[in-house]
Amino acid sequence: MKETILKLDNVTKVYPNGTVANRDINMEFEKGEIHSIVGENGAGKSTLMKIIFGIEAPSSGTVTYKGKEVHFNGSMDAIEAGIGMVHQHFMLIPSFSVVDNIILGSEPKSGIFIDRKEAVRRTQELSDKYHFELDVIAKVSTLSVAKRQKVEILKTLYRNAELIILDEPTSVLTPQETEKLFEQLRQFKEQGHTILFISHKLEEVKKISDRISVIRNGVSKGTYKNEELTMEQLTNLIIGRDLEKDFDQFKTHEDFHDEKVLKVEDLYMERNGKPVLNHMSFAVKKGEILGVAGVEGNGQQELVKCLTGLEKTAYEGKITVCDKDALEMNVKQRRELGMAYIPEDRMGDGIAASLPISDNIISTYYDREDINGKFFMNQKAINKVADDLIDTFTVKTQDNKTAVGSLSGGNVQKVVVAREYNTIPDLMIAEQPTHGIDIGSAELVHHKLLELRNQGAGILLVSADLNEVLDLSDRIIVMFDGQIAGYFPDASKTNDQELGLYMLGARHQSEEEIGGALNA
Amino acid sequence: MLKTIFESLFTMKFLLSIVRLSTPILLASIAAFISSSTGIVNIAIESIMTFSALAGILGSYITQNAYLGCLIGLLIGILTALLIAFFSMKMGADAIFVGIALNTFADSLAIFFLYQIAGEKGTSASLMTPILPAVDIPGISSIPILGEIISGQYLLTYLCWIILIVLYILVYKTPLGMRMRACGLNADAAKTAGINVQVLQVLSLILSGFFAALGGMYLSLNYLKIFSKGMVAGQGWMGIAANGIANGNYGALLISSLIFAAFRAVSIVFNTSTIFPTDLVGTIPYFAVFVFVTAASIINYYRIKHGKVEEQ
Repeated sequence: MKETILKLDNVTKVYPNGTVANRDINMEFEKGEIHSIVGENGAGKSTLMKIIFGIEAPSSGTVTYKGKEVHFNGSMDAIEAGIGMVHQHFMLIPSFSVVDNIILGSEPKSGIFIDRKEAVRRTQELSDKYHFELDVIAKVSTLSVAKRQKVEILKTLYRNAELIILDEPTSVLTPQETEKLFEQLRQFKEQGHTILFISHKLEEVKKISDRISVIRNGVSKGTYKNEELTMEQLTNLIIGRDLEKDFDQFKTHEDFHDEKVLKVEDLYMERNGKPVLNHMSFAVKKGEILGVAGVEGNGQQELVKCLTGLEKTAYEGKITVCDKDALEMNVKQRRELGMAYIPEDRMGDGIAASLPISDNIISTYYDREDINGKFFMNQKAINKVADDLIDTFTVKTQDNKTAVGSLSGGNVQKVVVAREYNTIPDLMIAEQPTHGIDIGSAELVHHKLLELRNQGAGILLVSADLNEVLDLSDRIIVMFDGQIAGYFPDASKTNDQELGLYMLGARHQSEEEIGGALNA
Repeated sequence: MLKTIFESLFTMKFLLSIVRLSTPILLASIAAFISSSTGIVNIAIESIMTFSALAGILGSYITQNAYLGCLIGLLIGILTALLIAFFSMKMGADAIFVGIALNTFADSLAIFFLYQIAGEKGTSASLMTPILPAVDIPGISSIPILGEIISGQYLLTYLCWIILIVLYILVYKTPLGMRMRACGLNADAAKTAGINVQVLQVLSLILSGFFAALGGMYLSLNYLKIFSKGMVAGQGWMGIAANGIANGNYGALLISSLIFAAFRAVSIVFNTSTIFPTDLVGTIPYFAVFVFVTAASIINYYRIKHGKVEEQ
């Protein structure tokens, strides 16, 4: 039996707003292992790491580090104890040199001064020891992302961290850089460091880990030895299909003659010199739901921004909405073509939190003739629209003058969906439409989307929730690394396991097969 | 006439007047610099200077000791800075609005107290007030030109010069200074490095109040030897402008302050002649601030656009 360095017993974290991020998590970490923690976005990985690193305190349960129960009061305590963390968003000061960034907070001194010579010497020594090849007196702002990450890792090593937490470290790296990082991690392991590797990229996890712990919906689904798990089993543990729902009974099948409401051809966009959308082509037909599955961060957000007209970076390709070339159009013009949009960030992009429901529920068509009078807004008409929608969408509120921000997440989403539904769209772009809302509200949203579909609207459903995609869609595309990795012309003939393999990049269809997404 | 004006711009007297006029602006600029280095914008420097200028005079009058008066002025300056810290960091108000509030009532409050004690609303001239001395440095004073500049200045000018050096060392050479700058540049990074950001911000505000107080008291206890209404006359704002131009560069901070002081000196020279309207000439230093601040932001804009510096 190896030595246990960190132990979590029944760790539960409930946030003040009632969100349960972690529930009764039990995990053990052995000294000198690379231990991955995997789970979908929002599964509770980050919260757990914050608890270990002392940023958050657990609501109940205990953390035992090196055999002693610890109650970290801020990350300083965790650092002191020998825990280091490399944050997903770097905690660096660009205008400082590498040395200054590394020694910040525990500077070597001679008298009252910073001993720069000693600082440079120690930093260079560390950098050489681990073959980081860093110019330690260079300013951080001149370094590449991969090098900045090395600076972050050096920071933890400089403080003699024995347990290093890496939060999604590969998300900013190229495959080659990732490979190098892995080599280094193995080196750390040999020197007795314990690595906690957080990721949702499963092939990487399989490659680097000794053991793997799975979290789903804030609950621990066990710790496994890497070699005991196949990719399929791991996928199952992470995604875990809870209950089968049959939405087929709600689907009608009218013939809309394969009319296309959205055609995307050869869409291409780069960010920081890396393609984030890599020549994507697909179409959405009238009266169908095209599901876009994929692990978050594979280009879905960029795709939606390009389609809705929100993207500021230049992108190439062809976007046709209801037979009109929409590429050069702004959001408003695209909406006028018949597009509606349910944004992922509902509080940020979906609503104006401090304004009443009535204002929010008309905000995308405030200039419609019946609402917008000659000089003033027609309050009577607005109230009627709002009250009707509050009724049909069963929004739980006192009246239509309540500030939207004071509603629960599910009810906020109902307001957003009601507004978009009420524009009677030809094309609905629904981005994570039920993310983080209660089951009842989610069900209503699903039914309303199906209603739109049955009335002849084409719906692009972008979701990281595989159940949702499988349940609602007629056709499915899977995105991986900015590309369509797989196309499934009949959603009922595939399953989560098959999709999972495409989502994780383990499989990739031929160009011919994928071409069906556009030409079907 | 113009000839005599230009001739007077290249005299020893002119150089000396820049030195004398630069002290309050330099102190105001480092007051702005030190608070913004930890990410706190202290726009109340003007009002702290006013409060301390008066407190120094009244303290000196009451205790009949200029040094005790100076101590009281410093205390008032630091307390005002702590007031900003309390409202902005503890009570959650925006430091800018706290600053606006202080600036708005500083002049009136100062006159209220002046009237209570001196019975006058304009100046403290009626009070018998001991003031701080000018200091001759034996040996140096005999060196031509340099001796004239370095020796014979007011006590607080010397103190200011010492502070400029000490502050540079503190901010750029000690761990404390590096941590303070880290707070201003990326508070999250500082926090994750285990630095208590709030403590350093309060400390920087205390230092800011201390420097601004010295700047105010230089005007009352040294330079003009009385307190008079409106005597700070925007010099606190000039310090803030110099800090804005310098954008964290200590050398640029001092140079900007000296340039503003030079324009003040120019306006005084022009004022001795009668060919230009006095009011118009009086605007020269403020117009210079406007021009320099605008130029600095235009230069900065192009530097960001061409990728020479990162946007902050």
